[in-house]
Amino acid sequence: MPDISVTIGMQQAWLLPAMPVVAFLIISFFRKILPREGDFLAVIGMLGILLVTLFIIIDFQGFFHDGEFHPGEANVYAFDWVRISADNFLFLIEFSTYIDAISVVMLIAISIVGLMVAIYSTGYMQGEDRYGWYFAVLSLFVAAMLLLVTSGSLIWMYLAWEGVGLASYLLIGHYWDRQSAAEAAKKAFITTRIGDVGLLIGIILLWKATGSFDIQTIIAAATSGQIGETYLTVAMLALFAGAVGKSAQFPLHVWLPDAMEGPTPASALIHAATMVVAGVYLIARFSPVYEVVLVARDVILYTGLLTAFLAASMGLVTSDIKRVLAFSTISQLGFMFVALGVGAVGAAMFHVLTHAFFKALLFLGSGSVIHATGRQEVEYLGGLRRKQPVTAATFIIGSLALAGIPIFAGFWSKDEILHSVSSYASPFVYIVLAGTAVLTAIYTTRLVLLTFFGSPRDKSAFDHAHESPSSMTVPLLLLGLLATVSGFFVFDAVGKLFGFSGGIGYLVYLHHPHAFHIDWAFASVATVSSLTGVIIGWVYWHGGAERAIKARAWSPDLHALLVNRYYLDELYQGIINRVVLGLAGIVAWFDKKIVNETGVDGGAQLIGYFGYRLKFLQTGKIPNYALGIATGILVLSVMVLARA
Amino acid sequence: MLKRIPLPSQFDRIIIGGGITVGAIGVPLGIVLVTLVAFGVISAPEMVFFVAAIIVILGALGCVLLPNIVHAALSLTATLIGVAALYLLLMSEFLALVQVLVYGGGVVLLLLFGLMMTNAQDDPVVTDGSQKPFAFLLVSLLIGTFITLLLSGDWGNPTAHVVPFELFGERLFREFALPIIIVAVLLDVAITGALVNVHSTGSDLPEESE
Amino acid sequence: MIPIEYFLTLGAILFGLGLFGVLSRRSAILILMAVELMLAGVSINFIAFASYLDTDAFTGLIFALFVITVAAAEVGLALGIVLRLFRERRTSNVDEASDMRW
Repeated sequence: MPDISVTIGMQQAWLLPAMPVVAFLIISFFRKILPREGDFLAVIGMLGILLVTLFIIIDFQGFFHDGEFHPGEANVYAFDWVRISADNFLFLIEFSTYIDAISVVMLIAISIVGLMVAIYSTGYMQGEDRYGWYFAVLSLFVAAMLLLVTSGSLIWMYLAWEGVGLASYLLIGHYWDRQSAAEAAKKAFITTRIGDVGLLIGIILLWKATGSFDIQTIIAAATSGQIGETYLTVAMLALFAGAVGKSAQFPLHVWLPDAMEGPTPASALIHAATMVVAGVYLIARFSPVYEVVLVARDVILYTGLLTAFLAASMGLVTSDIKRVLAFSTISQLGFMFVALGVGAVGAAMFHVLTHAFFKALLFLGSGSVIHATGRQEVEYLGGLRRKQPVTAATFIIGSLALAGIPIFAGFWSKDEILHSVSSYASPFVYIVLAGTAVLTAIYTTRLVLLTFFGSPRDKSAFDHAHESPSSMTVPLLLLGLLATVSGFFVFDAVGKLFGFSGGIGYLVYLHHPHAFHIDWAFASVATVSSLTGVIIGWVYWHGGAERAIKARAWSPDLHALLVNRYYLDELYQGIINRVVLGLAGIVAWFDKKIVNETGVDGGAQLIGYFGYRLKFLQTGKIPNYALGIATGILVLSVMVLARA
Repeated sequence: MLKRIPLPSQFDRIIIGGGITVGAIGVPLGIVLVTLVAFGVISAPEMVFFVAAIIVILGALGCVLLPNIVHAALSLTATLIGVAALYLLLMSEFLALVQVLVYGGGVVLLLLFGLMMTNAQDDPVVTDGSQKPFAFLLVSLLIGTFITLLLSGDWGNPTAHVVPFELFGERLFREFALPIIIVAVLLDVAITGALVNVHSTGSDLPEESE
Repeated sequence: MIPIEYFLTLGAILFGLGLFGVLSRRSAILILMAVELMLAGVSINFIAFASYLDTDAFTGLIFALFVITVAAAEVGLALGIVLRLFRERRTSNVDEASDMRW
């Protein structure tokens, strides 16, 4: 590769968050006077990010020896941000960036999907209110996300963590004149906040044990046994709590289906490809430490497993296409956490990459459908493949990738996960996960059949439908291409073609890079199960979906349970009403009665009372004052004479 | 009995009545004192002192206790004359002279004029918040303290010395020339101040509605 | 012949009576009279000290002279004030010369 990375390399990783921040500031301040409200600035920002990412990758590839990454200090850029030092005490917060293989995978996903979403949004959001503000917040989000994945300091990562939460809130609530959107934004923020508290506790615990906020320092200290095992387990579980919140795992998954109130391209970027994998990124980053506290890793494994299965079951009965995709995201994130739970960091990050591509594709495709018909529930859709051929074709590609059909990207990454699970975890885990994969195929097929095949259920929506403009279809096509071919990166030959030492196994690994071997038996079992799922889906939902309707009548309670999302929302609301508001009532009573009335008012009234009583000391009559003077003289003379 | 005496006016009756009262008190007192002197218990100057002291104290009591304002002014006069007698006992004739002239002839006269001009009422009987008990307590404490202290001190046994008048005059106008001039200015200022204060723009007499 | 303590005691008593008068009298003119009593008592003390103890430099005498002078001036001025008070309030009762609302 020619040496063009002279000026931009891993040390300039700070450019990555800096550029979209500038775009955000310019658009938000000047959008009224910029042409087209400044959306081109966001696109230019994304292009810049893609370019810098390429330079970083080129620089990154230069530091591989014998297939291992030895950067020395070249992948770190740091400066002191807060430094308080006394004799034996040092409190240091650095701004630092750290680039390694995990960051590189995330950067590829964020930059490509970000660019696609930005271009798509210029078509989708045309004519909407606050058009410029949308692009400003989009840039802000990308800035925070890039800061999150390149940060080498836990404090800056936490800052970025909150930043993506803020941008997510702003985007979910973009249509804030809709009550449901405002509520959904609030729900998202509060639910992730609960997780964030855990994350902060974890950061503080780790700082207390090691005295540093630097991630690599903490990992080195933890793996060398400097931190007590129970303490470290608690700290790592606290960090995982943050991941549970941000990545919508059980029990904090309730916000993601409601977050679909936001604009669809935002959902594609945030709630499919990037923000929700922040939790996966965190755990992957700390995977050497999780190897030391296997109890915490088992918690991750089982949480991911439960979430994957639960979400897939809920996605089976949802009628809103975006919400089906939301449940699918939750389920796939569960897959990633299961992979992390057995220590297969490479498989997890690979699935992050492929999932980013095909899930973003699916969301943008659904956005195209919504844009064309104005409807998102499947009751009003059907037979759209005749009206929107490009959308339908790319959507089907994405679904095939999601379902895990061979050739397409999802097959390779899901296969990697299932393979590591079968090698390192109990058979029970493998069976549940494989079952979830079958469920995935089923609900995906259902979604495709109900939306694009069969006869249209709502005439006006169907008549209104048309293919979307090229600003929307081009990203769909590009993402469709990536969803098809990105799976091949698992092969070592493909990796070498791009300048890496090998396939994904040589890029992201826990201890040693491993070459890729196809386990034909395994692969065929996986293929058969995915195809089974597709066939089941076709049997039940093709045409008029009579079999599905009969199945629903067979067990209405189960159906109600799934449609109501296992009544978890009601449970949480009940807890909030009883516990949180109850406690708040007590505190409010305390504040009102004791602090306000007794303390503040009481003190004032006491003074007023004494003032009133003492007021009568001033009679205004001269004889009284003369008596006072004479008394003073008496007292003074007694004092003086007593002393003498 | 008084009414049967053929006297031309009430005023004479008061004089006679007052005279009799004073005589009734003073004559026995005088006899007591003379006897005491004769027997050598107290010396003659001491007797004069006691007489003057009694006049002073009775006059002072009258001044602060009598409700009628004119009676109070007159007993003040009596006090100040008694004080002049005491100055004589202290061998300073000049000051006794000054005392009689200034106080007896000037100050009391001024007070009586002011009394007349302001139509001063008698000191009212105060029913609420009279300070008399507090004042009595306070004064008795204060004066009790003073007297205890001065009696417990050792003064030696000094005697009164006459102050030569010429020396007094010399000292007054030599060492104390500046204070004299300042006092002169002060008197000037006081008179001017009083005049300015009292000078009115219109009606200066009280309304006839009284 | 007359011990100095007699004069000093008398001066103290006179001062005390004057003070009592200042504190307990209601009419302004009566208060002025009581002030004169106080000044007289003080003068007796000064002259006693000058005559008995300070025979060479009889500062007490001179001081008493000044006291008499200033007292006279003060009475003149004070009467002017009482006159003004009387004109404004139609009374020389110091109890009623109060603007307070209670």
